[in-house]
Amino acid sequence: MTANTPNPGAAIGARKKSLASQLIRLRYDLIPDHLLGEILAKKWVENVAPFLFMVLTIALFGSLIDGFFAPSSIVNMVRQLGEFGLIVLAMMLVIGAGGIDLSVGSNFALANFVALATMHILGWPVWAALMATLAACAFVGLLNGFLVGLLRLRAFLTTLVTLIIVRAVVDMLLLRHAVSISAGFPDSLVWDFIAMGSVFGIPFSAIVLLVAALVIHVLLTRTRPGWRIMAVGGSRRSAHNSGISVRWTVFGTYVGAGVLVGMAGFMYAARLSSAGADAGMGLELAALTAAVLGGNALGGGRASSAKAIMGAITVLVVTNSVIRMGMPSGVGSIALGAVLLLAATLDVRFLKNRYKLLASVYVSPVVNELPPAPPTQAGSGSAYEVNDRLHDVELIGLGEIEAPEDVILDRNDNLYCGSRQGDIVRFLAPDYKKKEIFAHIGGQPLGLAFDRDDNLYVCVGGMGLYYITPEREVVKATDETNRTPFSINDDSRLRLADDLDIAPDGRVFFSEGTIRYEMHDWPVDSIEARGNGRILCYDPRDGSTKTVVRNIRFANGVCVSFDGKSVLYAETFGCTIKRYWIEGPKAGTVETIIGALPGHPDNINRASDGNYWLALVGMRTPAMDLAAEMPGFRRRMSRRVAQDEWIYPNINTGCVVKFDEEGNILEALWDQAGANHPMITSMREHKGSLFLGGLSNNRIGRYRLKDADPDWTSCDHYWGKK
Amino acid sequence: MSVFRRVFNELTGRGDASVRVPLLDGALRPNQDIEEADTVCEAEAPDNVVSYRGEVVFSSGSKILKSDGQTVLEAPAAITALAVSPDDRLAVGLDGAGVMIVAPDGAETRVCSHLENPTALLFLDDALVVANGSANNRNADWKRDLMEGGRAGLGTGSVWLSREGQETEIANGLGYPYGLALAQDGRLVVSEGWKHRLLAIDPNRPERREELYSDLPAYPARLARAEGGGYWLAAFAPRSQMVEFVLREAGYRNRMVAEIHPDHWVAPSMKSRQSFLEPLQGGGVKQLGILKPWAPSWSYGLVIRLGEDFIPVSSHHSRADGTHHGVTSVLQDGNRLYVASRGGNKILSLHIGG
Repeated sequence: MTANTPNPGAAIGARKKSLASQLIRLRYDLIPDHLLGEILAKKWVENVAPFLFMVLTIALFGSLIDGFFAPSSIVNMVRQLGEFGLIVLAMMLVIGAGGIDLSVGSNFALANFVALATMHILGWPVWAALMATLAACAFVGLLNGFLVGLLRLRAFLTTLVTLIIVRAVVDMLLLRHAVSISAGFPDSLVWDFIAMGSVFGIPFSAIVLLVAALVIHVLLTRTRPGWRIMAVGGSRRSAHNSGISVRWTVFGTYVGAGVLVGMAGFMYAARLSSAGADAGMGLELAALTAAVLGGNALGGGRASSAKAIMGAITVLVVTNSVIRMGMPSGVGSIALGAVLLLAATLDVRFLKNRYKLLASVYVSPVVNELPPAPPTQAGSGSAYEVNDRLHDVELIGLGEIEAPEDVILDRNDNLYCGSRQGDIVRFLAPDYKKKEIFAHIGGQPLGLAFDRDDNLYVCVGGMGLYYITPEREVVKATDETNRTPFSINDDSRLRLADDLDIAPDGRVFFSEGTIRYEMHDWPVDSIEARGNGRILCYDPRDGSTKTVVRNIRFANGVCVSFDGKSVLYAETFGCTIKRYWIEGPKAGTVETIIGALPGHPDNINRASDGNYWLALVGMRTPAMDLAAEMPGFRRRMSRRVAQDEWIYPNINTGCVVKFDEEGNILEALWDQAGANHPMITSMREHKGSLFLGGLSNNRIGRYRLKDADPDWTSCDHYWGKK
Repeated sequence: MSVFRRVFNELTGRGDASVRVPLLDGALRPNQDIEEADTVCEAEAPDNVVSYRGEVVFSSGSKILKSDGQTVLEAPAAITALAVSPDDRLAVGLDGAGVMIVAPDGAETRVCSHLENPTALLFLDDALVVANGSANNRNADWKRDLMEGGRAGLGTGSVWLSREGQETEIANGLGYPYGLALAQDGRLVVSEGWKHRLLAIDPNRPERREELYSDLPAYPARLARAEGGGYWLAAFAPRSQMVEFVLREAGYRNRMVAEIHPDHWVAPSMKSRQSFLEPLQGGGVKQLGILKPWAPSWSYGLVIRLGEDFIPVSSHHSRADGTHHGVTSVLQDGNRLYVASRGGNKILSLHIGG
């Protein structure tokens, strides 16, 4: 073999490898692994199990019983559902706030009696009878609420007592008035309509249930009282600590439950006109079973109308079917008990393991094949060659500032930076020894930029895009954008606004690192290396925000080009710099400027000589580059290895490089040991100095440039002298 | 069934596939003793420190040096192990060339010359015990040996007994034997690097092996006798979850070994933080300019004091933020403990109480 003929074996090996890697790549391109995790993260996923259980029950008994799906059978069942569903809603409301109401059965019997007595004996009009019924049941709820909510007695025992007392009262009343109730015969069309009427074939009671369910759904999900109920159920102590009146909230749920039960009892009275003593017997158990079966947590804090109705349907189908199959009376209770046990077990197992499952499937890495890294070692002749030029940077605010991700200087040479505590800190010119808090925002400030009117625009991690006026007023510019069509995760809210720059027309172009993770989970995004980042454009003229570039492997630094016709942005985990055209013939298109960097790019800013400064926050490591090609390895690592042990991009060493409009690297500034200024996430040129920021640093660096224009400032350069 | 279980474990990360590393706790609770120890001298990768003719000497490359820098002996190859007999015979392990014995009068003899990686030597009354780290890899390629062994710590190491010109193998299939000691009951104790354990072997009945201590949290190196009973065990790198994980990931490991320079592997190391091309672990990110001492690290400095029963009693450390890493041997001289830090390029002296 001579030097000119390449090794044929090696060539075949390379082709084999590329075929295998192409197959892997294809598999990760075609199967959207990330969707499973996103679906599991949705709140409605917890309804899947009760829903399937309901469908299964209907299918089972539907196939066992002849005529189950006959119209008359369905209508009859739905009419019963209207009454029973209201009681389950009542139970759901109470257990949603962490309580329990065992008196629903007795209360139901009371409603039945009051409705019959007012209609049959006293001959009141329907509306008056309804009011009387609701008032009587609300009174029982009031009693429960007073004892449980205000006096803070045990819900279980207290409602057990009201169950017995109310039942005894109803029995005594029935004993005295049963005969006269049977003798009476109200002549009212409305009363008959409530009993047997339908609208478009839907029984009246079902319509009442539907309306009640909708109202309660809106109440629980869209209104303050509803949120309070859920908060109290979720954690009484936390609710109390956040200023919610726990006692009155619990009180309210019992009263509400009483009213709902009253409505159900009223419709039951109209339908059957039966003064029997067995009305509502054992109803509390059935309602409780239905509520839990639907997925409402017995401990509170997790409840919804949909869950209640699903549970009600399942229980009603089971109890009705057991009767229709001619089984002995005890079987119904046994079946109900067995179903409750099964549901409670499934519910607990699913709830307990859901987040485990979610945690293990949410992270879904893809192939991130990076081009070979250009050399950096001394003597390699590379533009990136290491040196120690940053070794002696002057330090500003050492130990006084934490996490200054970006730095900027105003027209009066004052130095601004963000801090971990959520402040914008200002170091005063000329010596930067004195510092003050310029403004408090609350989130971690990242990228900074001044606009034409000296407003300081800030990207705030977890919050969005804000600006601070020269009068130090903090104003929100935007925190949401248009949602990506067909996305499962709601990506309209900004999670990680990162860096920004402002075009000559005032439009703000800013980056969002990732839409799948919060700011402090950026290492997880580095494991995933999926195109989760995006570039957005906020237009202050009409206040609109829209997404202009998607699928960026961690969108980071943003800089408007010198001609104002394009925006340069850094793709941190793709190790590239790209250009997005905002004007001219190529408007709307993206092109790559630097295809392979030796490190992970962060902020980009303009230099005084018409070129660009770029911070490399960390260097690529061969071990990480190899892992980037192996998504399965990274996925298993994220599941089996503690995060502190994961391999990261090497962000303990970084550098600053300068590149021109075509993407040629002109020079590199290094601090090899990283002792003086360990991390560089940003740099800003100002009057012949380069100011350096770092996200995990406790200092700001100042490096004096030798050949730079000593009068150049970015404010004057962007917006002209004032 | 076992195949099914293995596949299930590999898919779910349970059982053998679970990544679990013992904690530094109890007798192994971290301190900064080795990091704060006095420097005796600096030398390039000092490896085995022994007492020879009443002086502390150590191997460094192909030389044996005194602490004042004088050369005691220059060997024809890199020195991989040292031992001194009570009658001042010096055994020198040579990289790729077996063992050379230097008599007090300067006469040289060679034994076990087929062993290419003698990692530890021990004189018995009438014999020399030689541990051969690996049959496949030379001393400098120890990382490759670990990576080839995978998660089971499989190795090709062996222990030999050389007695009056006769050489017998008394143990093989060891995962990098790196230290030797003689227990009180006459058994040989071997520190087995890739299996993180201390193994007792009866030289007369070598098929009987006993695990004296297992699941060490670090990769053990050489053993030395402690004064007043017990032993010293040097350890050069911590076991880490990430390395254990890579040892279970054949696909990644094979490509890493084939494509990446060993200094930049996900692997234990004699020294770390030498280049930004080394992999960085999450906990190793400097926060506010400080590297936490409890950060995960590829290298470490650890000396464990063992009791007569080879159970750890106490320990001395150089932690993630330190530099006195890669401790491969120690020598006790009264209240002084001489520590060879192969990664820190230093011989250190530690004052030990009592």
